[in-house]
Amino acid sequence: MSGIALFASAAVIAIAAAAIGSAHAQGKTAQAAIDATWRQPERAGNIFVMMLLALAFMEALTLFVFALVFVLAGRIPA
Amino acid sequence: MEQGGTSDVLFRVFGLEVTGAVTTMWAVMALVIAVLWLAARRIERIPRSRAQSLVEIAIAGGENLFSSVMSPRRTRQFLPLLGSFFAFILVCNYSGLIPGAGEFRGFKPPTSHWGVTAGLAAIAFLATQYAGIRSKGLRYFRHFVEPLFLAPLMLPLSMIEELVRPFSLSLRLFANIFGGETVLLALLLVIPYFLPITVLVLELIFGFVQAFIFTLLTAVYLAGASETQGH
Repeated sequence: MSGIALFASAAVIAIAAAAIGSAHAQGKTAQAAIDATWRQPERAGNIFVMMLLALAFMEALTLFVFALVFVLAGRIPA
Repeated sequence: MEQGGTSDVLFRVFGLEVTGAVTTMWAVMALVIAVLWLAARRIERIPRSRAQSLVEIAIAGGENLFSSVMSPRRTRQFLPLLGSFFAFILVCNYSGLIPGAGEFRGFKPPTSHWGVTAGLAAIAFLATQYAGIRSKGLRYFRHFVEPLFLAPLMLPLSMIEELVRPFSLSLRLFANIFGGETVLLALLLVIPYFLPITVLVLELIFGFVQAFIFTLLTAVYLAGASETQGH
């Protein structure tokens, strides 16, 4: 396999793995937030803000991998 | 220095390269300033112009939101910064979604460049330190070593934590917008009809959410640095 093909496979696997992890975590967060909203609808606004904050931190992990792939993509010889 | 088709330098000002993102940023700045200036041109106690009412609704909403993470006094203090962040990032994010935006060389969403988001995050970082020192004086630096018997352990940890914040703040915004643009481009190349609409709709949501998250996280950092005891 050429370097590019190897790199592309590695990049796809890395991003997919990161996406699986943060999707799982974000699913749990969203579930908890929806549960909380259902239990206390009057706090919905507060819960929503907290959920967004929590989601942002998980989201960042996938995006770190995404950015890393782009940084590395510029370094492999053609 | 002509480097072929890869660089998108439009022209140079005093040796500084002016790229499409920079010109777009100027346009965004002009737009935001113009809209807000028009809205604030004739401020009345009971707003009669629609622009003033609209901007007042937006500002009241922001005040309401930020007072859930910090005290009302701090909210008033930081609202100009946070509001500017939100307006600027939102319009920047949306600037890439204007129909035909990809046709012009001088038109690129500025927030899809790490340099722009890193600059915004640097402002947020400096503002956080400034707010902390201003409200607590030198006592602000105590939170770096807070459980005092663990100070040698806590100092490097809290410093890393403090420095990672602007890094993740900028990378989150940049990667979201850049990733969206990349996915959109890839889809446009494969199926140019109808399918990109779904991504465009998602991008509309993400653009708002990312501007919101950036502002909210900055607010949380500012509150953490300046509030003395919870809120």
